[in-house]
Amino acid sequence: MTRLLRPERCGARAALIGSLLAAAALAIAGCEGGAIGANTPASSGQNFVSGSYQTTVFRVGSRPQAPTVAGITLTGKRLRLASYRGDVVVVNFWGSWCAPCRAEAPTLGALARQLTGSGVRFVGIDIRDEPDAALAFMQNFNVGYPSLNDPNDDIALQFRNTVPPSAIPSTVIIDRSGRIAARIVGGVTYAGLKAMIGRVAAEHS
Amino acid sequence: MTTAEGDAIEAASDTIESAQGSIAARTGRGPAGRLGVRGWLRWLWRQLTSMRTALILLFLLALASVPGSVLPQEGIDPAAVSQYFVAHPALAPFLNRLSLFSVFAAPWFAAVYLLLFASLAGCVLPRTFRLAGSARQRPPRAPRNLTRLPFTASYATGQQPDEALGKASALLARRRFRLHAGAGWVSAEKGYLREVGNLVFHIALLALLISVGLGGIFGYKANRLLVVGQGFANTPTDLDVFRPGRLVSPSDLQPFSISLQGFTAKYVNSGPEMDQPITYAAPLTYHTSPGAPLRHYVLQVNHPLVVDGVSVYLIGHGYAPEFKVTDGTGRVQFDGPVPFIPVDQSSLTSEGVIKVPDAKPTQLGFAGVFLPTAVDNGGQLQSAFPAALFPRVSLVAYDGNLGMNSGQAQSVYQLDTKGLHQLPVAPRPLAPGQSIKLPGGVGTLTFTGYKQWVSLAITYDPGQLPALVSGITALLGLILSFLVRRRRVFVRALPRADGSTEVVMGGLARSDAAGGFEAEFADLAQHLQELHDGSALPAEQLAQELDQQSAVTAQAHAAGHDPALAGREGSEA
Repeated sequence: MTRLLRPERCGARAALIGSLLAAAALAIAGCEGGAIGANTPASSGQNFVSGSYQTTVFRVGSRPQAPTVAGITLTGKRLRLASYRGDVVVVNFWGSWCAPCRAEAPTLGALARQLTGSGVRFVGIDIRDEPDAALAFMQNFNVGYPSLNDPNDDIALQFRNTVPPSAIPSTVIIDRSGRIAARIVGGVTYAGLKAMIGRVAAEHS
Repeated sequence: MTTAEGDAIEAASDTIESAQGSIAARTGRGPAGRLGVRGWLRWLWRQLTSMRTALILLFLLALASVPGSVLPQEGIDPAAVSQYFVAHPALAPFLNRLSLFSVFAAPWFAAVYLLLFASLAGCVLPRTFRLAGSARQRPPRAPRNLTRLPFTASYATGQQPDEALGKASALLARRRFRLHAGAGWVSAEKGYLREVGNLVFHIALLALLISVGLGGIFGYKANRLLVVGQGFANTPTDLDVFRPGRLVSPSDLQPFSISLQGFTAKYVNSGPEMDQPITYAAPLTYHTSPGAPLRHYVLQVNHPLVVDGVSVYLIGHGYAPEFKVTDGTGRVQFDGPVPFIPVDQSSLTSEGVIKVPDAKPTQLGFAGVFLPTAVDNGGQLQSAFPAALFPRVSLVAYDGNLGMNSGQAQSVYQLDTKGLHQLPVAPRPLAPGQSIKLPGGVGTLTFTGYKQWVSLAITYDPGQLPALVSGITALLGLILSFLVRRRRVFVRALPRADGSTEVVMGGLARSDAAGGFEAEFADLAQHLQELHDGSALPAEQLAQELDQQSAVTAQAHAAGHDPALAGREGSEA
């Protein structure tokens, strides 16, 4: 029975521990929100929340209703997502400044050219972008489908109660009855997205 | 006499002590003896919940936060982290593997924190139950020999023992003592609030720990840089940095949106304090949710905007020079502000890049420096003041491959020059309105003006208020338990041979808190004696009793069992 191994009574100085712990917690919390000027934005980081490839598929019975999105496209036309009801709608969140979006743009453009007219529609939602840069992007990648201009992310916010795009790029597939069938966070692949659209398009509304 | 001594010690000691003692006796066998798995587990648990382990863990927690203040942290200054990577290419990846660039999110930091939590909870919870028991306890039986207690009084009265005790009970009850009566004696105890204070302190301490944990699980932190005239919504796609707690999903974010209407900064413009900021103000409009009415607020340092419990702090500012870029085909490729990052806080000399990935015939890139108040310092252009009094931009132009189309995410503040080559452009600083024509007809860039930006820190910590409330409650409980003394008063009434009754009073304060019990006891004794119409006992008898008392006290000291001291132990906080 060595004295060293016997634990001491703990309670007597719990007050001390408690106050020290509280002080430590405050000190840690205090690190945040320091003086202005001490903090610059993430100049080294990507400075946007980038997606890791991740797919969520919803079964027919458990699909959330897509929000009633409407707005002005980059080319200045009014667009209501609801006017596409009856078709499968592929909604892609993108930005011309986002490298993964640039990488997936040829895939989306090609699939759109292939599938539009067969009951599938593509709509882009251009996030945090400069309109001239966005239009140059669309021309460069030969993107034929319209994109809603969403500089303040108001449209992305409307998806918050369903499946919010948690990163850029994100792609949402809406079924013929206006419900969200799948969400892909991160860049899409030609085969993967085509198969997924095909499955949703094959359903009867 | 030994029985009397035992009684007195029993009265003075405390059930907590005896419970502790027996536990110590059981575990005291230690690991040397034959212990089963259960024994070992119990021993480990005892070790974990011991005071010493808690102190070591607390020390470790403090030690573990040291690298957090020595090394740059990802969550606070990601720029500094990447600078560190450049400066120490060999060491940085190794440190990164040890999570030393995000100490407070590191697994080992969490391990220390959780162990400390387990240690404190394991210590505080059982103690809470014991305290609850002790707060409900009845006063113990009166010891047989009251004259050995620290405070005593005795006198003779003509009243019968039962009547005398009845009056004593009534008096003690009036003074809000808790009573316990038996044949020929009354015990009374007061100051249970001390135990209540103790209990409140312990429960509040647990609540504090839980609150801190809650903040980490359900809270989040985010950053966003916003140029004047721009807006953003509180959703992950619109945040520059987003650090959610364990159980935060994007749909949990409060759906507010903010638009920056302007930004003004005032600086000291002379004297030794020159360049120092005086005030910052960022007027903004916001909606608490889509469709909610528009509200106004002026954001200032330490005056965060609070929306639905989320605090939005102003943490930085800078300049965003505006550029218009046309490519070789004459098409406008870009026309807007580009946030530049300050590299020198006192002069706000800022650096930034412009990427034009869709330009034809070739992609264009620019790396530049913005000088708010440009002055020529021996051929070298520098910024002399943080306000934009004489703004100039100096740029280096590139063409080639920006490396963006491969899909590899890259910083919007850095140019990957691997696939680029520098264009021979005369290094001439641009004033607002001036352009550079790129050689080979690949494009034109015009510096059209500038805007300011602010960086915002968005923090949501649902544990903050509960932590504050439990912190204050813990303090109040602690103060209560320090101020209130637990004290016992015993009264015995014995019939004497001459038909009168001998009343003996004894008192015991059960803590070493500030004195005052002596006066209280004297006052009680005087009142009781008046009620009993008592008279002092013959001096000879009193002297005899005092002799006995000192003899017993001496014995008790020799045995290491001073009843007064034993009484203190159990009620420590």
